[in-house]
Amino acid sequence: MISKYFGHLQNRGLNKLGDVIIPGEGIFPSFSSTGFSSHVDRMLDYMYDDDREGLTLLMTVFAFMPSFVIRWIVLLSEKNAAFPDVIGAPLRMIQLGLKGLILTLYYSNIDDPQKTGMKIMEGIKWQTGVAPLEGDSKRVERTSKTTSWKNPDSNQITNVFDRSRTAEREISLMTVSQRLKYVTALKKLILDEKEMIVDKIQMDTGKGRSDALFSEIFGILDHLTFLEKEACKALKDESIKTPIALMGKKSKIFYESLGTILVISPWNYPFYQAIVPITVSFVTGNATVYKPSEFTPLEGLVEDLLFRAGFKEDWVQIVYGDGKTGAGLIEQRPDKIFFTGSVATGKKIMAKASEQLIPVELELGGKDPLIIFEDANLERAAAGALWGSLTNTGQSCTSVERIYVQETIYDEFKKILVEKAKTIKQEIDKDGDADIGSMTTDSQVAIVKDHLDDALKKNATLLTGNHWDGKSRVIPPLVFENINSDMNICTEETFGPILPLYKFIDEQDAINMANDSDFGLSASVWTADKSRAIRVTRKIKTGNVSVNNVMLTEGNPYLPFGGVKNSGIGRYKGVHGLHSFCNMKSVLIDGNSGKIEANWFPYTKRKYELFSGMTEGLFGGGIMNFIKFLIYGLKLESYSDKVGKKGRV
Amino acid sequence: MHHNIFDVTIVGAGISGSFLAKELCEAGLSVLLLEAGKNFNRHNYPKKEIDANSQLYWGGGIELNTTADIGILRPKVVGGGSVVNQALLDKFDDVALDSWRNKSKIDWFGRDSMDPWYEKALSEVHVEEIPVEFRNGNADIFIKGFEANGFKCAPLKRAQKNCAYEKGSDCIECLSGCIRDSKQSMGVTVLPIALKSGLALISEFEAEAIEKVSGLIRVHGTDKYGDKRIFRSKRLVLAAGAIGNSILLLKSKFTNPNIGKGFYTHPQFMSLGLYDKEIHSEKGPFQAMKSDDPDFRVRSFKLENVFGPPVAIGMLLPGIASRHLSYMKKITQMACVEVAIRDQNPGTISLSRSGKLKIVKTLDERDQTTFNNGLSAIHDIFNSTGVREIVDGNFKIGLHLMGGLAIGKESNSSVVSENFNLHEDEHIFAADSSIFPDAPGINPSLTIMALAKKASLSIKESLK
Repeated sequence: MISKYFGHLQNRGLNKLGDVIIPGEGIFPSFSSTGFSSHVDRMLDYMYDDDREGLTLLMTVFAFMPSFVIRWIVLLSEKNAAFPDVIGAPLRMIQLGLKGLILTLYYSNIDDPQKTGMKIMEGIKWQTGVAPLEGDSKRVERTSKTTSWKNPDSNQITNVFDRSRTAEREISLMTVSQRLKYVTALKKLILDEKEMIVDKIQMDTGKGRSDALFSEIFGILDHLTFLEKEACKALKDESIKTPIALMGKKSKIFYESLGTILVISPWNYPFYQAIVPITVSFVTGNATVYKPSEFTPLEGLVEDLLFRAGFKEDWVQIVYGDGKTGAGLIEQRPDKIFFTGSVATGKKIMAKASEQLIPVELELGGKDPLIIFEDANLERAAAGALWGSLTNTGQSCTSVERIYVQETIYDEFKKILVEKAKTIKQEIDKDGDADIGSMTTDSQVAIVKDHLDDALKKNATLLTGNHWDGKSRVIPPLVFENINSDMNICTEETFGPILPLYKFIDEQDAINMANDSDFGLSASVWTADKSRAIRVTRKIKTGNVSVNNVMLTEGNPYLPFGGVKNSGIGRYKGVHGLHSFCNMKSVLIDGNSGKIEANWFPYTKRKYELFSGMTEGLFGGGIMNFIKFLIYGLKLESYSDKVGKKGRV
Repeated sequence: MHHNIFDVTIVGAGISGSFLAKELCEAGLSVLLLEAGKNFNRHNYPKKEIDANSQLYWGGGIELNTTADIGILRPKVVGGGSVVNQALLDKFDDVALDSWRNKSKIDWFGRDSMDPWYEKALSEVHVEEIPVEFRNGNADIFIKGFEANGFKCAPLKRAQKNCAYEKGSDCIECLSGCIRDSKQSMGVTVLPIALKSGLALISEFEAEAIEKVSGLIRVHGTDKYGDKRIFRSKRLVLAAGAIGNSILLLKSKFTNPNIGKGFYTHPQFMSLGLYDKEIHSEKGPFQAMKSDDPDFRVRSFKLENVFGPPVAIGMLLPGIASRHLSYMKKITQMACVEVAIRDQNPGTISLSRSGKLKIVKTLDERDQTTFNNGLSAIHDIFNSTGVREIVDGNFKIGLHLMGGLAIGKESNSSVVSENFNLHEDEHIFAADSSIFPDAPGINPSLTIMALAKKASLSIKESLK
């Protein structure tokens, strides 16, 4: 945990002092071995500045002082009564300060993963409690120090937001670099705990271990590193150009926090979609209320990590529940809603948010095209198409769900793809040795089955995966051809391991087909011709395009992410994403002069003429007009000042 | 809220401030109650000792007098002392009230005229004695020791209800707020009524100065975010206790030389008796008995059975390393009795040159003798009950913080008039423990409630 006041040096001094007072004996651990020194801010935060500074200084001295000298000082302070007040009083203060610090940390039954605090209580046989009030067992129990709530009722939801309103002030008062300290601690913790986290993700989603490691853990660490490197720069006050008509004034943008951000996340990348928006919200100075999907709550994980990284209890609150809970949270008027999920739910959220004009950012679904031209490296394109369609078992908003292949290479490409699809290793593995895992929810399995049946009924051809029983969550790769736009699999998001192949004739044909969709999240273009790649990229109506690669814009945390059409509203990630969680406050600063401005009252005929002349000069162009602007401008200024002070004459 | 001019602003949401808020709100006045501490409820009281000490008291737990031999525990929380105390309620006797009448020259300090106010105060809270069957081992030693020495003791009267001792409730946990709402603290008694009647309560606002401008009182202070705020009202009630009220007036340059004088704390001293058997002083109602001995009263001290949580007890014990641990391992074998003296030697609350709180409070020879008498009574109790070793605590504590704005008829010897307004300003009132003219030697809570009830009449009258 992070101390706002004690650095490494003071911490060393504190632990040396601690071991003098509690060197450890039998079942009682030494002070330093408890790690409780990291909780010191729970005291320092509330001390008078003088006392805290005194202790900080003393701890610094202790860091360099041999332990036997510290021991001598403490023992001397114990003998304070033997001295007259002039020496006795300072000795008593030292005794109270030093012993108070150590004993308070040691005997406060601090919650720690090793349960050391509890063991010390057991060692002194201390066991006290209060019988809970009748009915209190139904109370929402916090699972850790970071607040979390399970299916809260409306009173509790009000309480969530009351807490958040306090937390948002605390967070907004910290500087960006102070906030980043917590981000760094979280990053380190995620790195240390990655296997445990992957276990937990796998348990809730059934995805492969490698999927979880690559897409969630790596992606998060990359994103947190981006925040560490860029957030300070992106969020500092920005000086903005001031036009000549406003000469003498200064313009700025302040990137301020909005307040409380409600983050509602989907079940496909439950950990990534928790940590990324939560940290963006936090770094930009907001408190967060986070509602995970009821299908993949990763219960207890996020709050545990945030707590261990030092986040205070209400900075981020986690609310478990379903759509009804989500609606209750929206009613509390968060300052912004960040939603990732389906189009249908996105529409409901926006409708609900519109009642109170709450800004929404919607990251919705896609039906992403992959376009392969005849000059592309087919081996690579096929491998890319396979990964883009199947990663996370096809349950990504940017999964490839339409594969457009130029007719000249269609058969060759199809052959490579089908062969590769048959080699996909599928299981819920324990060691990372599998390509894909299972589907996460039965409802999504039903949709895949529905799309499959509909396509086959309308004469599509299934090239792989015939052995699937239509029920198992382990859906094998399904390669199709002969798809047309009457089929759901062509127009609706399937969100499963499908690879539908389409033939196109030429560049314009590919563009037309790719754009013939209600979605516009991302696309990929595969060709050896760079200028064709850029031409096609420009013409596709979508939010993100990867050239000769797939789903890669998300791989760069510096790039913004978001869709057009039914794929969503707004952008997050990258510097733009940081700004979208901010109140971009425009500021114009003038001097405290006595001058009366030209555009203020009184308006007179004379002012009209001068203003007219100045306007012609300013916007007319050319050197003569510029001179006219200067002359009229100066006249206008002095006239306005005069008439402003003396009034109409 | 910043657009409003309140009828009354009250600084301090302890017992006095909360009782007054209720009375004044119920009379239809617009009232703003400001409190420096946090507004906890039974769901979020800080339960670990580290957090409780830090978040419920000024100075992160403790403040010291200049000689650093009295640890002053000054509550800083909505509800004030009623959240962190043991809710002991006692009426004052003739000894206390006669002394006040003589000092203040105020004739209604007497049992007959105070009793109706005590009864009104008692109607707001539920009071009970600890049932005999739930007294713990420490209370047993206390009673046996008293019997053996011919001292008289009596059960404590406590403002509590439905503590569920039969289900194993240990009151020591409630020193940082009661999670059952059994303790009759302000947040479960008068404050909810006041809030229902329109009280505006702002917690975590530290009042720093008061001034009067064109007949209105302005309270300046800092809110929890560090922002400065100013509130305006027609009347002001100082209810921030002896120390809070004194320094607020001193910082605001009030000139009555009696401000901050006459500071009393009923200095307390805890003595631990180590026994061979398990005592479990920490279990059940850890405080159940008090001395009720006329001789003790004459000699100006009282005894109570008491205990503290591990950090507090650890601080009382001598030594470090293995010596310290050898005591801590036997914490459940310790009995504990405290002596509290009716201190005679007044202390002073003032501001240092740099504007910091400075408390001068010493025991003179008389007080020291009283102290020694009390301590020797404790030793008698322990020794007559088979104690193995007696450990006298390391330092004294001051919990009953009284005086600084003494009430009295004469403005040259007091700060507050018998109508509860400052002699210096008829629009500024105080009725809490700061107006005590001397140390009563009896738990002050009930009298603070009674005085608040009485003072509310004067305040309402002044607004007519």
